[in-house]
Amino acid sequence: MNIKTNDTEKCAYALQDLYNVYDPEIGLNIVDLGLIYGLYFEEINVRIQCLMTLTTQFCPMGEAITTDTHDSLVRAFPGWEVIIKLTFEPPWDFSMISPEGKAYLGH
Amino acid sequence: MIPPLIGGLQKTTSHSVVLPFYIYASLGFLAGTTLLLFSTDALGASYFSPKMLAITHTMALAWGTMIIFGASHQLLPVLVESKLNSELLAYLTFVFAAVGIPFLIYGFYVFDLGWPVLVGALLINIAVCCYLGNVLGSFLRGNTKNVHAWYVLTATLWLLATTLFGLMLAVNFRLPILPRNSLEYLSVHAHLGIVGWFALTVVGVGARLIPLFMISKYTNDRTLWLIFVLLNSALAGFTMLALARTSPLLFYIPILLGLAAVLLFGRYCYMAYLVRIRKRLDAQVKTALISVVQLSLPLAVLIPAIALLPPGRFSGMAQLYGFCIFFGWLTAIILGMTFKTMPFIVWNKVYHNQAHKGKTPAPRELFSDRIYRLMMYCYLGGFAAFVPGIVLLNQVLLKTGAAALLITAALQVYNVLLTAGHKSKQA
Repeated sequence: MNIKTNDTEKCAYALQDLYNVYDPEIGLNIVDLGLIYGLYFEEINVRIQCLMTLTTQFCPMGEAITTDTHDSLVRAFPGWEVIIKLTFEPPWDFSMISPEGKAYLGH
Repeated sequence: MIPPLIGGLQKTTSHSVVLPFYIYASLGFLAGTTLLLFSTDALGASYFSPKMLAITHTMALAWGTMIIFGASHQLLPVLVESKLNSELLAYLTFVFAAVGIPFLIYGFYVFDLGWPVLVGALLINIAVCCYLGNVLGSFLRGNTKNVHAWYVLTATLWLLATTLFGLMLAVNFRLPILPRNSLEYLSVHAHLGIVGWFALTVVGVGARLIPLFMISKYTNDRTLWLIFVLLNSALAGFTMLALARTSPLLFYIPILLGLAAVLLFGRYCYMAYLVRIRKRLDAQVKTALISVVQLSLPLAVLIPAIALLPPGRFSGMAQLYGFCIFFGWLTAIILGMTFKTMPFIVWNKVYHNQAHKGKTPAPRELFSDRIYRLMMYCYLGGFAAFVPGIVLLNQVLLKTGAAALLITAALQVYNVLLTAGHKSKQA
């Protein structure tokens, strides 16, 4: 897991909530799945930018996952504006799954 | 509320486009197995009998084709990395096919090869043209022209060849437009559909989905292109040999090409299985893997049939071959993949914007796993009883197998309707 951030403390707090956001097909949370690339906190604008990806660009579960990610961050940081930035560079691959995620999948 | 989102989240196909195909197909399977139960006396006679034609077309069109239509409208965007070309065309595909198929089957069942078969065939051709328009449009606007997309496009072109040729055969019954009797072209018509449409679609889509569901990093485009060439060469070769009426021994060439393709696809799935990250596979993926093994059965039946049997016994072998394809390989993969794709479509419909409100059920909880397992036991038992029933022409085995397959279909309908009717359990 290699999540970029400008505030490690807030990032750790945010991740506690993001561990409860699941990919419905795989049944694994999006943090261990490696879908979160970055969490950036803009104190001046009271804004969080979450840089994330999906397992595939046309993932049928994409809307559900991004909505759930957004709402989890809003719950964790009331009053902050949350922006989800989707990127497919680099594209997600299996090496991004954390050791805990692989263990969950029985690997 | 839709979250502020920057980037490339692509809209998926609406559930209202896809679900009617699934429901129709499951009822088609029920109709096919009901016809089978009441037609076991027709086995052993000519495969060109009204009941056999009705059963074959029910399984090929109402069951196999309709569910592939439904699933591919959902999967096309994933395969070609572009949104579906037109939802209107998808609706039209459903309407024309849903109306045309019963006409065709009724015409065959009562052996009225006049207007019911012609109207049915015409409507089905219109449906296929609408589907081709969608596949071609999505393919052309897609970000990638990967091997899977080529499989789907080529398979659709073969499907159009199948249905157009079928329409010509229907016309030829009444008004001779072909040099020979329609019966002499049946094997060409059948294999255009079996290899061109079903095999290419299943391999092309399966090679993407089976590793995806197992979370396997295995991918080998070279092998997939080789299978693509082998299947298309086998089909083109078979068609030319059949039209030229050459020696039966020459048919070994396309059969061996087809067998090589099947073995390569089996190896592809096995390699994906070996390096999978998800070790505990669910019953649906296991069913899909069983179907890959079943794919070799039709070829294992056909090769000895050509080599060893006198022409008089070929009819029974042809029925066994057809049964292994439509009730074996094709049905197994559909039974598995239906419950890997449909629950996600329904889950997206019900929970896509409320996943955060509390615990939502997983997609696999939208249908009954107990009923699914019972269905699979009935299916495997029915298949295992019916195959020796055809070989021995034993009515007890045939009726037992057909009854078990009918129960399989009823359980499939139950689970499909249970999934389709799922409502949110959240406040």
